[in-house]
Amino acid sequence: MVDVKTVAITGGKGGVGKSTVAILLANKLRKEGKKVVLADCDVECPNDYLLLGQELNKSAKKVTAQFPKLIKEKCQKCGLCVEKCRSRAIFQAPGQYPIFLEELCSGCGLCWHLCPYQAISIKKKTIGEIFKNKITDNFYLVTGQSVGVVEESGPIVSQTKKLAQELAEKMEADYLLIDTAVGLHCGVIRALMGVDLAFAVTEPTPLGAHDLRLILKLLSILGVRAKIILNQADLGAKEPIVKIAQEKKTPIEYQLPYSKELAKAYSQGKLAKINIFS
Amino acid sequence: MTKIAVVSGKGGVGKSMLSSSLCLYLSQNQKIAAVDGDVDAPNLHLWLGLGESWDEEKEISVFEKPVFDLEKCTGCGKCAQICAFGALEMKKGKPSLNKFICEGCGACEEICPVGAIKMKPVEGAKIRIKKDVGGFPLVSAQLYPGQTGSGKVVDEILNRAEHFSYQTMVIDAPAGTGCPVIAVLKETDFVVLVTEPTPSGFADLKRALGVVDHFGLPFGIVINKWDLNPAYAKKVAHFAGHNFLGKISYNQKIFSALANLEPVMTTDLPTKQEMKKIFLRLLDRLKQDC
Repeated sequence: MVDVKTVAITGGKGGVGKSTVAILLANKLRKEGKKVVLADCDVECPNDYLLLGQELNKSAKKVTAQFPKLIKEKCQKCGLCVEKCRSRAIFQAPGQYPIFLEELCSGCGLCWHLCPYQAISIKKKTIGEIFKNKITDNFYLVTGQSVGVVEESGPIVSQTKKLAQELAEKMEADYLLIDTAVGLHCGVIRALMGVDLAFAVTEPTPLGAHDLRLILKLLSILGVRAKIILNQADLGAKEPIVKIAQEKKTPIEYQLPYSKELAKAYSQGKLAKINIFS
Repeated sequence: MTKIAVVSGKGGVGKSMLSSSLCLYLSQNQKIAAVDGDVDAPNLHLWLGLGESWDEEKEISVFEKPVFDLEKCTGCGKCAQICAFGALEMKKGKPSLNKFICEGCGACEEICPVGAIKMKPVEGAKIRIKKDVGGFPLVSAQLYPGQTGSGKVVDEILNRAEHFSYQTMVIDAPAGTGCPVIAVLKETDFVVLVTEPTPSGFADLKRALGVVDHFGLPFGIVINKWDLNPAYAKKVAHFAGHNFLGKISYNQKIFSALANLEPVMTTDLPTKQEMKKIFLRLLDRLKQDC
């Protein structure tokens, strides 16, 4: 049994450098001779592949969800499906057939289970794709990406994480790094569930401080051990962040200064070459 | 009545800065309402120079989760079978719920043959209202960490904002392209997309546009921090074509203003003039499209 340590990189606020930090951490671990799998679980806007100068070509796996499809010949227009749908994803004008609004549908399946006339069939639709990129012998990237307009992206996150986990075990990796989306929503929760440690990335601004409190609260609810990484540490007032760290008894593990070299590597997709963490 | 949403895909590119400035600009000449649609991590109030004091705060429940009567439960396992999200599994013959991945769809309640499952409301978010931010209201919300259903919270605050009379509603959308963004876009008339001149910013702009196009909405594009990579900014502006609304330079002083709760539009920073130009072009576009 291989013991892969799972570390998440999250932050609540957008644009604080989650993806950058995730790749820098991977670089640090690789330098120490560790094998690393990085899973980009920001499935709505995955960017790690761009920062590593990669392309998403052929997917390794497709993630599907089930949606309802009306069989008109059987439908009696009773309206039960409309009444029971909690996502309000079924619309019916008086006397007309119901219409399914896929962008609001969570795919829970209640309507086809309940329909007294078996007038709803199940249609499988691809909602996400998972890609695998080999960066070096000891460094793989797994990327989840939603396809089209997807109301419920949580399952894509879970599947991406699972595939990355399997890959990490197969290649006997030391670390699985999980880069999450912004916010605290279900996609972030799914990415954070069950990890050994989470780095909350923040910036020295009032916004960074505001959102850091929120993400630390979420991590504590999920029972995940947290550490803080303060990015662009020299560009603003650190005090509010230091205060939160003390209050929440959460250490600031790294402080990253603003770096032109880093910003350049970021915009050129050459982050794999940068080593800042020591 | 026009609703403008500020959207980006990528986080931290300047949505809330632009939204707050647009509110302050438009409110000089018309009645507006401001809505912070980023219910996960709401920041619009900070950009508008407000602290955490609200005129009205109300807990809401947008979400229901199943509660089990284990004495009635016969352990048939139908609830775990129907759950499309893998949130229910049978442990020692009884259902066990992972509340963090439950979507609250209610399928388990409906399918239970002995009525052992009841969906019960969960206090999932707090709606917060500031009635008079220099002449206009701000409707915001905070989803409680660990709760899901941000799209439904957005539905709720957009409804609440309708109680105010307005000519233009400015909605600051969350990052991403998921359910809360969809909840904003389905109520919107015009979209302002904010991006930055990096491959990530551009890729996420295109992904956000995919959702905007799905709803067939007219849009304009703003490039923030354009001077960090002028060549790339040019490429993005070219992509935007006639939908290009303008660009904003990077200015670190914005963050000092923010730290003092001073909105950008009340400073003397060049950013203010850049945004005015953008807003004039936006007003032109609104005349054509809305």
